[in-house]
Amino acid sequence: MELSEDDVLHILKLIDESKFDYFQLEVGELKITVSKGDPIPIAGATQPAPVSVSPSPAPAPKAAAAAPAPSVKPAVIPEGMLSITAPLLGTFYIAPEPGAPPFVKVGQQITEDTTVGLIEVMKVFNSVRAVVKGTIVEVVAQNGQFVEFGQALYIVKP
Amino acid sequence: MSVTRVLVANRGEIAVRVIKACQSLGIETVAAVSDADRESMAAQIANRAVCIGPPRSTDSYLKVENLIAAAQGTGCDALHPGYGFLSERAALAQACVDNNITFIGPSAENITQMGDKLEARKIARSAGVPLVPGSDHARNPGEAGELAEQIGYPLLLKASAGGGGRGIKLVSNAREIEDTFRTAAAEARAAFGNDTLYMEKYVGNARHIEVQILGDQHGNVIHVGERDCSLQRRHQKIVEEAPAYAVPPEVRTKICEAAASLARRIGYRSAGTIEFIYDNDTADFYFLEMNTRIQVEHPVTEMITGVDLVGQQLHIARGEPLPFKQSDIRFAGHAIECRINAESPQHGFRPCPGRITEWNAPHGDGIRLDTHCYAGYFVPPYYDSLLAKLIVHAATRSAAADRIYAALDNFHVSGIDTLIPFLKTVIADPEYRSGAVNTQWLEKKLEAYSAQAG
Repeated sequence: MELSEDDVLHILKLIDESKFDYFQLEVGELKITVSKGDPIPIAGATQPAPVSVSPSPAPAPKAAAAAPAPSVKPAVIPEGMLSITAPLLGTFYIAPEPGAPPFVKVGQQITEDTTVGLIEVMKVFNSVRAVVKGTIVEVVAQNGQFVEFGQALYIVKP
Repeated sequence: MSVTRVLVANRGEIAVRVIKACQSLGIETVAAVSDADRESMAAQIANRAVCIGPPRSTDSYLKVENLIAAAQGTGCDALHPGYGFLSERAALAQACVDNNITFIGPSAENITQMGDKLEARKIARSAGVPLVPGSDHARNPGEAGELAEQIGYPLLLKASAGGGGRGIKLVSNAREIEDTFRTAAAEARAAFGNDTLYMEKYVGNARHIEVQILGDQHGNVIHVGERDCSLQRRHQKIVEEAPAYAVPPEVRTKICEAAASLARRIGYRSAGTIEFIYDNDTADFYFLEMNTRIQVEHPVTEMITGVDLVGQQLHIARGEPLPFKQSDIRFAGHAIECRINAESPQHGFRPCPGRITEWNAPHGDGIRLDTHCYAGYFVPPYYDSLLAKLIVHAATRSAAADRIYAALDNFHVSGIDTLIPFLKTVIADPEYRSGAVNTQWLEKKLEAYSAQAG
């Protein structure tokens, strides 16, 4: 059996719309591996390289001598907990405006639609939805911190 | 302009190439990676990686605002766009200017001028650079028909907003012109949002010759010689060489001088490439377009001149004058590059992503490999299929061909299909060896190869 490019695209679309994160198909010599979200770890490696950044604020552009904060400190999500991750990169804000109470606090119940923060990308503010349901147990990211795509912002107990 | 920490706004082998050029100048790098590229070689060798979005490039590598935010968030004072993606979008160059980030490339104005192919033709004409006989205005099918009688058939209808082989239609005779005009205009509108077309005489027996340019911020512009990139499949280059061995030396000189005068005319800065069509039958050459970025095949020029083109981009961006004059540029020997794509030659050249289980690359005198691949690397399905560029240098073209054949023969990749077996048949071909090729030659070889393999 031969798979055409269209077949492969069709399969990718089905996976994209499904709940599965990882999919592998073998037809004769042809192997298709599809993964959503985190890349499939290569043998031995359990974490992809730059999972998370150092929580220290990025050095100013002028500070040429300073290393660009390469310390990879993966956010450890305790067993049985969930995380709310940044849906895009930018500057993370914990409250709707300076001085205002934060969107959410530790101990607060949240649902999938709860707004838990803002991420600013070039003067455009995007609200961050929880996507998961449960109780906030830890605020991982700091107010005003630069966050990457996929970086943990909160830890939630389901 | 300060360039102390560079955001590398690209992926694959060019991201690795840029990081290495920065490292050799003591410049820090931050690799902007999509979620699919977190474990990429660029992410590993840069001082830091920053994830700019999901795998799909429209949500990551093609988002100007994400790249600017990534540069600011990681303290970068400069950005290198590589090739492809946003490298020729004036919006990125302008956003860098607006946010006090040094764009390692030309000005937004130069990108805009050369991105509009009609505007580029006008500039070329004013610089005295020969153009393919044709017309800058074909406003409707009727007018196109009249103009075609003067130009002669066959001819090409081209989209002003096209480029890189896109938005081109061949018209063989007068019966086709009006229908093809309507189709080409509709396609150009759909693909580029601009249905302006122009017409060019079709050169049947042609070579693709291009000239490497370097310009600094002080008005110095030189050429770094030419390349022959005639071996193409669907307008994508597969094998590139320097110098342009089949063009007489006096014509090569003229082509290079024409290119430099065009770049000088617009005050071009950084590395750029001016592409020409060369007519094998008449030895005439014509301006095609200018690419306002570093080119995939830049290494063949580096091999015969010893000039580090990406390194020069960094020096130029810092405001330094070019360290050499035109007369300092010397050419030695012959270089050939083969693009090792993740494509299956036995299956109609379909892309072949997946896990590389074996990556045993050739080494030796005069052999260079620009790559981001290694054993265990997963080639993601979201991006182009270039795995590596194998480049060789030798005293003569014949010796270079022998060397690249041997290198291809010693290049062992498992887990995914690559172009290596097909490239070997190309390099071994007597017509290729004799240099009797043109821009259609590879397509014909490919048909024969597929028929044989199928």
